[in-house]
Amino acid sequence: MLTRREAAQALIAATAIATLGKTALAADKVVKIAMDLSLTGADSEGAVRVRNGIMMAIDGSNEGNGIPGVRLETLALDDGTPTAGQYDPAQAATNARKMVSDPDVVAAVGPQMSGAGKAMAPILSMADLATITPSSTNPDITDPKFAQQFRPGGKPIYFRTVTTDAYQGPNMANFYADVLHVKSVYILDDSGAYGVGMADAFQKQAEKKGMKVAGRDRLDPKGADYTAILTKIKSLNPDAIYYGGVGQAGVKLAKQSFDIVPNVIKGGGDGVYGPVMLSSVGFPAANGWYATIASPHTVADNKAQSFVDAYFRKYNKAADDYTITAYDATLVVIDAIRRVAASGKPITRSAVRDAIQTAKVSTIQGVVQFDENGDLKDRTVSVFQIKQDTSARPDDVSRQYHYIGVAPQA
Amino acid sequence: MNGAAAAAVSVLTRPIARIPEATRRRIGLLLLVAFALGFPIFHPNDADVDSMANAAAYATLALGLNIVVGFAGLLDLGYAAFFAIGAYTYGILTAFQLQPEWSSFWEPFQYLGLVAKMPGETGDTSVVHFTLSFWLALPLAAGLAAFFGILFGAPTLRLRGDYLAIVTLGFGEIVPIVVRNWDGLTNGAAGLNGVAAPKLFGWSFGVDARPYYYVAIAMVALLVFVSIRLRDSRIGRAWMAIREDEIAAGAMGVDRTKFKLMAFAIGAAFGGMTGVFYVAKLQTATPEMFGFPVSVMILVMIVFGGIGSVWGVVLGAFVLQLLQSWWLQDLTEWLHALGRLVGNMWLQHVDLVPSIELIFGFILVGMMLFRRQGLIPAVRQQAALSLDQQHAEVRRGGFTDLKLHGLGGDTRTGAAALEIKGVTVKFGGLTALNNVDLVVPNGGVVAVIGPNGSGKSTLFNVITGLVEAQEGSIRFHGEELMGLPDYKILEKGVARTFQNLRLFPNLTVMENALIGQHARLKTGALAAILRPPGTMAEEKQAREWAMEIFSIFGNRLVPRVGQMVAGLSYANRRRIEIARALASRPRILLLDEPTAGMNPAETLELAEQVKSLNQLGLTVLLIEHKLDVVTTLADTVFVLDHGEVIAHGRPDEVRRDEEVLRAYLGRNAQAAAASVA
Amino acid sequence: MTTYDLLLQQLINGLSLGAMYSLLALGFTLVYGIMELINFSHFNVFMVGSFIALFVLQSFGLSGQDVILTGLPLVGVLVAAFIVTMLFCGGIGMAIERVLLRPLRNVKGPAAMITTIGISYILFNVILLTVGADSKNFPNPLPAIRYHIGGAVLDFRVILIWVIALLLMGTLYLFVQRSRIGKAMRATAQDVEAARMMGVEVDKVILMAFFLGSALAGASGLIFGLYYNFTSFIIGFTAGLRAFTAAVLGGIGNVPGAMVGGVLIGLIEAMASQFIAAAWADVIIFSILVLVLVFRPAGLFGRIAPSKS
Repeated sequence: MLTRREAAQALIAATAIATLGKTALAADKVVKIAMDLSLTGADSEGAVRVRNGIMMAIDGSNEGNGIPGVRLETLALDDGTPTAGQYDPAQAATNARKMVSDPDVVAAVGPQMSGAGKAMAPILSMADLATITPSSTNPDITDPKFAQQFRPGGKPIYFRTVTTDAYQGPNMANFYADVLHVKSVYILDDSGAYGVGMADAFQKQAEKKGMKVAGRDRLDPKGADYTAILTKIKSLNPDAIYYGGVGQAGVKLAKQSFDIVPNVIKGGGDGVYGPVMLSSVGFPAANGWYATIASPHTVADNKAQSFVDAYFRKYNKAADDYTITAYDATLVVIDAIRRVAASGKPITRSAVRDAIQTAKVSTIQGVVQFDENGDLKDRTVSVFQIKQDTSARPDDVSRQYHYIGVAPQA
Repeated sequence: MNGAAAAAVSVLTRPIARIPEATRRRIGLLLLVAFALGFPIFHPNDADVDSMANAAAYATLALGLNIVVGFAGLLDLGYAAFFAIGAYTYGILTAFQLQPEWSSFWEPFQYLGLVAKMPGETGDTSVVHFTLSFWLALPLAAGLAAFFGILFGAPTLRLRGDYLAIVTLGFGEIVPIVVRNWDGLTNGAAGLNGVAAPKLFGWSFGVDARPYYYVAIAMVALLVFVSIRLRDSRIGRAWMAIREDEIAAGAMGVDRTKFKLMAFAIGAAFGGMTGVFYVAKLQTATPEMFGFPVSVMILVMIVFGGIGSVWGVVLGAFVLQLLQSWWLQDLTEWLHALGRLVGNMWLQHVDLVPSIELIFGFILVGMMLFRRQGLIPAVRQQAALSLDQQHAEVRRGGFTDLKLHGLGGDTRTGAAALEIKGVTVKFGGLTALNNVDLVVPNGGVVAVIGPNGSGKSTLFNVITGLVEAQEGSIRFHGEELMGLPDYKILEKGVARTFQNLRLFPNLTVMENALIGQHARLKTGALAAILRPPGTMAEEKQAREWAMEIFSIFGNRLVPRVGQMVAGLSYANRRRIEIARALASRPRILLLDEPTAGMNPAETLELAEQVKSLNQLGLTVLLIEHKLDVVTTLADTVFVLDHGEVIAHGRPDEVRRDEEVLRAYLGRNAQAAAASVA
Repeated sequence: MTTYDLLLQQLINGLSLGAMYSLLALGFTLVYGIMELINFSHFNVFMVGSFIALFVLQSFGLSGQDVILTGLPLVGVLVAAFIVTMLFCGGIGMAIERVLLRPLRNVKGPAAMITTIGISYILFNVILLTVGADSKNFPNPLPAIRYHIGGAVLDFRVILIWVIALLLMGTLYLFVQRSRIGKAMRATAQDVEAARMMGVEVDKVILMAFFLGSALAGASGLIFGLYYNFTSFIIGFTAGLRAFTAAVLGGIGNVPGAMVGGVLIGLIEAMASQFIAAAWADVIIFSILVLVLVFRPAGLFGRIAPSKS
């Protein structure tokens, strides 16, 4: 019962600190950070990694008395339902209302999925309750074109510690064209909102760069057999494959493409940056895959490494990119609350939202700042490649993915 | 429950039991309505109100599927497809999705408020923005979903139940895939942007859960009303007849194709309406919201609540939906609090939410093992009959007090009623009927006898359209019956009973007789829902006519009209089948061994009742083994053997016919009989 | 790659896929033939089977793609894995029948089918909550031998899968046709009551059908793992649905029909991905199913079974 155990551990830690805090600092003001994650269904293991990332930041703040006079608690909500079998936008909307109805909630982290985000954003906006998503990348939600829809309350409330599909895909297309000198590419997605968005954005830029798009198809993430489509790709003989999507289909694609088209360049976005791609694909099949993450990589900085190691010590499992973005998002929220508290103003949702808007927080992925729509100001896209390092744990993301460089801006 | 507790309960419920049933129901309904209306006021938690609104939406879906699965008995595993069709109809026609270039073509629509003019991406051009009103979208989506219901239903009509399940499952898979892949229309996996919130007189619902809740509750109320009205009408009875026994339903005049498609269409319409509501509330839609798990969940809600039970499926939907979106989370917190109280670590840290699907699995399996009929069963316990009612007087000499106007048609004399010429039926290599000629004179009683397997029942099946003949003609009052579907043949006035009883076992005696009148009644779906005076009158007359028919059998059926057929004695079920056939006001009645399984007294009683019917002008064609019955009733006897007519004539003539004896008794017996003679 | 090579390669792909669907379809067809029950738990017995196989192979010290076995050790490990997986899954199937479905044997309507949906939920979530949602790497102890036929590649794994599938299906076919209990199964499928009166122990026959069907599901779970080198709690649905479609396409209740149906679905899937798009494969499969059923309501090889109502 690994997921359960992890959950229990996180909760033990949280409760232990909570009770400690209660006795030691009974006069502390309690504010809550809400989270909306897909803890039921197909995405549950990823959701646990995100939740652990959030909890590490919150525990860190409470333990170190990060905000004097304020104790942080969480309101953890699950937007996965048996009715949908995975994340359920209707439940996400209900959860947004739960956050709004709880007067202690001043900010939120989540959701994981853009479909949930679209349902939540109008409700959060009307309550001026800011949320920072660690993983939802659909550009529509923060697009000013849809402001009337997704922020009817006026101010942006949907912030991200990931860049949208509008940057990762196109920048990778530039990298394919300029650095790898790819002439023809076959594009695949995994049917999900994230994957389709990435692949669409990549395709647009690839065509602009004069790459020949040999074809475009869609994988069924619940299916197992991609040999037929890979055989088709083999017959078209493209230089490269670009895959927009997450690990669920990515793992199978990596395994089967290694058998069928071993010599074709293969790459994807941050969906193929994580321990699943390493442990479930295994070597040598995983070798050579390119992946991007939507943040700068500072070689000298070992923050990421020490975080990942600390995570492993605590949960005995590997962290992924979204653990880090969730941790960072929570750091930004905590920083905002601290600044509001320090200014002596009451800690209200609006005040915290305004503080998040003006955040300038040093996190694992660098300094996080938001533009006027809630998107990251820094749109650096870093490219990594998997190369087996036999001296490290096979699922150690920071040692098996090797930094290649920054993808050229689109 | 032990004795003391039972006594306590009965003391508590006795005053309630004293209130008449109808009043009790009215009070219950009133309380329910008061609760539903007051809920957001005394529990002003926006999230919980939202959960209730979602649950209400699932209740309307469950009501829709209940029409298909519960009423008509058609197993549909892809119901979410209609939900999706409704959702995307409204979504596409209000979101920023389709934006054709503006032209004068759109001006009338702009005048009607269906579209708006919007500046395009590039400066000087204008584009169309669809702004379909929520209230208009409801009927529109219902209609479109109904159309797809018919489209998806049509290829499945010939399929048996389980094949139907897989085909509907297939359609349920296809629709979300099409939605995902056709991204120009639906924005694909990314989901719709900017679906408009409903407006009422210029006031937008926005993100407040309460107006949605009230709309959802109103939809549940409407669809409960529609479901109940349909269920208790000619339409609902036809569905249930199909569910209980397709062959008998056809033989009783139910056009199965039409009514199955109607069930698909109405069920789909409910789904389409719900889709509009759901997407308007959520203001986005993604293909994942309409997958197979959704179809299964709606089915589970129906089964959990009580398949076929209108209030049951509503309750089932509410319980299961609220469990996932509201109660389980609260329950987890209570367990944590309990754990802190008693110092139990496991209780403090248990999280039920991720286990919800597991809990669902156990609920399902447990329900099926221990309470299959669901929370509120569709079939209620019947009140027991009093001793007086159970006492049946044997009535001899048929009946003389009934007039039964309309039975047997207008022409009681004259030419042949039924004329069968040269009918041949082959099943593969086996010839079941070979060149059979048979005439039933108008107003006569003709018996068909013959050993088992001689083709008697096949003859009935050919006449009533259940079996196709290769050759020959069957004329009924001059009209050709061959080639007509079974229900048309009943409409012409040919009603039958079955050798092995094909009643609708889970319906009442009255309902069985009312289904018999299906072809004679006119109520359509709309009339069934609105119940105009004409429909009320028709229904009243239908019940009176049924009671008149029941009184043919003295007091054997009359006290039992409200009872389920399945629980009645064999002889009574035979009588009900005859009553059901008579209820259709036939001109000819085909009785297939009507006295089988009856004792001699009951046999004689029935024979005399049939005689009386004949005297009122009803033509009868009879299959019978008991020769005394044949002698009492029949003017003419036809003898079938190996599918051929080997003799016909008056009963006493046929009785002496050598070939008949041989066919019936075999050569040795015939020799023995001869030697005795 | 020439068009000819491409077609040959897709034929190989489709046949491998079809072999798995066929094995899985047999389980549906065996149970349906006798009980007229759509057994949704079959989907996830297959999935559980792949995890049991995973644990068995791991207990032999195999993990990832690092250890390659040949000769006797390979045969020994495979035989042991197949036997354990099939027995375990067969046991699950028997338990499902004996404990949960037998009380519903004579209940009309969808009660039994709903129960199997419930069981499916339970199996699915037991794996999800214990093993986790991420895909798991499945050991591949088979040597990487490849045969080139023109431009097409035939992997040793594929040949092995075909051989094992054919062996299992052939054994099953002979068992159903020749053995005493096989004959009793066919008799029960024709008419439960008549079979009972002829002295067939119907309970035993049904239990046997569940055992065989579930054991084959377990075997296909193992084959799935060996072929794709991964498993996940989610694999049951798509594969199960395709297999079920295959059973219906062939004429549900008909054993050779299920085998042919499985291969057909596999080929359709491969060809649809090649010539149209993988995105539309499901739509094409189901459209073909609907068309077949419209013109042949009992499937390609089925005859209209006598209604048991």
